[in-house]
Amino acid sequence: MDTPHIPDTPTLLAHLETHTGALTLPRGGTLCWDDADIHRAAYTADPEGYALLGLAPGVLPWQRARVLLQILAASQAGLDEAARTTLARVSHVLTLALPPAAVITVLLGLRRLRANHKHTTRAVLRFVLEHPEADALIAARRPALADCFEHALGKATARGCARRIQAGDTGSEYLRRRLLRFLADPAPAPARVRALYEAGEQPALLPYEPVLPLDHQREREPIVTTTNRGDIAATLVHLYRGGPAPDLHAALDRYVAAAAAAYPRFTGSVALVLDVSASMRGYGDREWALLSQAAALRMVLASVCDRLDVVEVGGTDQHGTHQPGTDLAGGVLDALAAGPDLVAVVSDGYENRYPGDLARVAASLPRAGIATPLVLCTALFTGADDLSLRRPAPALPQRGFWHQDDFAELLPWMFGHCAAGATWLRAALRARLDELDLEAARIGGIAA
Amino acid sequence: MTDTLQAIAPGALDLSGHRLGTPQQAGALTMVPITGPAHPGIAPPRTGLKLTRVAGYGRVELRNGGDGVAIVPLHIGYIQDAAQNHALCRSAFIAPGAALMFEDACCVQESQGGYLTERDQWFFVLPVELRARALELRGAQGYAKLWDDIADLNRSYGLARRGHLEQILSRKRAQLTQFQSRLELQPGQLGAVFLVNGRFAGLELAPDPAYFAEVWMALVCFAYGAAAWHAEPAAPDRPVPYELAEGAGLAGLRAALEHDRAQRLNAVLRELAALPAGPVAVREEERYLGLRLSTVTGDHLAGQVVTDTTDHDRPVYASLFARTIG
Repeated sequence: MDTPHIPDTPTLLAHLETHTGALTLPRGGTLCWDDADIHRAAYTADPEGYALLGLAPGVLPWQRARVLLQILAASQAGLDEAARTTLARVSHVLTLALPPAAVITVLLGLRRLRANHKHTTRAVLRFVLEHPEADALIAARRPALADCFEHALGKATARGCARRIQAGDTGSEYLRRRLLRFLADPAPAPARVRALYEAGEQPALLPYEPVLPLDHQREREPIVTTTNRGDIAATLVHLYRGGPAPDLHAALDRYVAAAAAAYPRFTGSVALVLDVSASMRGYGDREWALLSQAAALRMVLASVCDRLDVVEVGGTDQHGTHQPGTDLAGGVLDALAAGPDLVAVVSDGYENRYPGDLARVAASLPRAGIATPLVLCTALFTGADDLSLRRPAPALPQRGFWHQDDFAELLPWMFGHCAAGATWLRAALRARLDELDLEAARIGGIAA
Repeated sequence: MTDTLQAIAPGALDLSGHRLGTPQQAGALTMVPITGPAHPGIAPPRTGLKLTRVAGYGRVELRNGGDGVAIVPLHIGYIQDAAQNHALCRSAFIAPGAALMFEDACCVQESQGGYLTERDQWFFVLPVELRARALELRGAQGYAKLWDDIADLNRSYGLARRGHLEQILSRKRAQLTQFQSRLELQPGQLGAVFLVNGRFAGLELAPDPAYFAEVWMALVCFAYGAAAWHAEPAAPDRPVPYELAEGAGLAGLRAALEHDRAQRLNAVLRELAALPAGPVAVREEERYLGLRLSTVTGDHLAGQVVTDTTDHDRPVYASLFARTIG
């Protein structure tokens, strides 16, 4: 049997963000899980890191469902207590953060896989009996949830518990040892177990939306302008236009500090190749839009990174001489000279001295003996920009950004490409898990 | 580099005071910036010139609202919704505050009624493939005189054979205007040499950087961008690494990049140096004080130039284009 290939962090993150398709359970058939090998290999290599990555902003809901399935299906033998706790917290958050129908598919999938570990039992029971919308879920999907309940406890035990509850038992030793000990809040459980075994009066609709949104829906103005793309860029646009510098600079410092506070410190070094050419400035209604957001990214990175070296291309060099055109390839070579952990090119993607040079330099790095990872961050006006002529090196990892909110996905993606980013990524995702736990408690779920 | 520039139009222009800059490339279009001495006091075309009325098909009036004399850019045209688009076949001088009726304008939209007005003005420059013919038709009245050539150009682009230039300029505007970002105007730049598919396509020179900045979009997107868009090469499947010694390091990689760039620059210079050196005919068309507007005609290029007789016939404006493209 072939050893499954273990995906590195950027590959796994790209997979989680792009591989579409639902988990499906054909009636009487086997679970359809097309990318199970990737999930299994990633989990085996680093269970905790894999689970946390499922929380990264931008991961697709059905990929998060796969992460939940993988965590609950796999044995935790050999894991230390800290890792088990993290896995339990992630799985609890995911059961609240996914559409309930997807969670039920996962739980039924566990039944098909005959996966029944203690942590599986706990997660299933907490979803069925403690979910903030448990009553509505049971009303809508009673047979399926009864199957999940019986799979979690074993059919005989589940029905034994149900009979006792129907007879009025709410806290006997039998119930406590076999059912209630798995729950964080046993009080509502007896009524819900009764509901699982009593036919409802009317079929009910299954709630669709998750109770704990992971990726907040951003409120967007109907028309994107140069100044409704986040506070930092808006302030920079006014500065570039000649606005009152003292007021704007003071506000800028506050906005940058607030944005940077959302991220842990990156202890490695990043070299930024920053395109400041005429096309980044733009013209007409879009003048300054791209350049201001690129500058905002630079400022946030400068606050987050222990070391940030910036190589500007397409502007004026230190001797006051204007650099001809947009020389991304030359900028990358200058950036590599500092020996950074990561080189990030921030550009609109229009390379004109000469087109193709960046791609050739990138393709030549391995032979030259240079292993520094290189990523391309494309400055956009909106997410709908046409990028067909703006991929100067299609083989390079490329990600667009146009709003300050996009930094939440951009930074984990950037840092995830270098070894020094592993610690940062884990710290950032742990902080996210802490926030989600608190949010889960606030909405009526119970923290893991 | 100056010698190379001079070789493009020997006898027509003394470009010895001008310099070529570092080429930029976008798809099939290469632009080599030109810098040199400015000739201040000429009204820039967008802020200075206004289309005031179309008095009838083929009759277009422009007014110079600037402080200095205006040099109407060669082959500019105006497009508006619900009005018949027109282009001019020639350049001209317009004194400050004066208006000039072009009786020899051509309609570039075969079956559209309505006249252009002062509202929503943006101008283009005729695609380079039409410019030699348009120049030949200067002075000839007849608003439909360019329709067959426009129809042929549309057909060669794979579009419907109609005398409608907006099939290219308006419907492909999103692609064409990208050339304004793909190629970048340099500070101090007052002209450019354009090549399409590595072959000379045109030389444009403005009185000063402000003038050139105002005509830049019309040139890069429409005069030369349309031909380049038509010739846009497919993106290479996978980049070819440089030939490097194993472990050549950063220095080896930089040397390979610079060597490759030097070869590309040489290819551009070779193309320009190899242009036919045949004689060109220069015919004076108009005067404004010491300025002379002349038409240049040669086997390989044509166009119009403005020189200043009070300053050793120094070139002030030039729009010279290849007679054939590709």
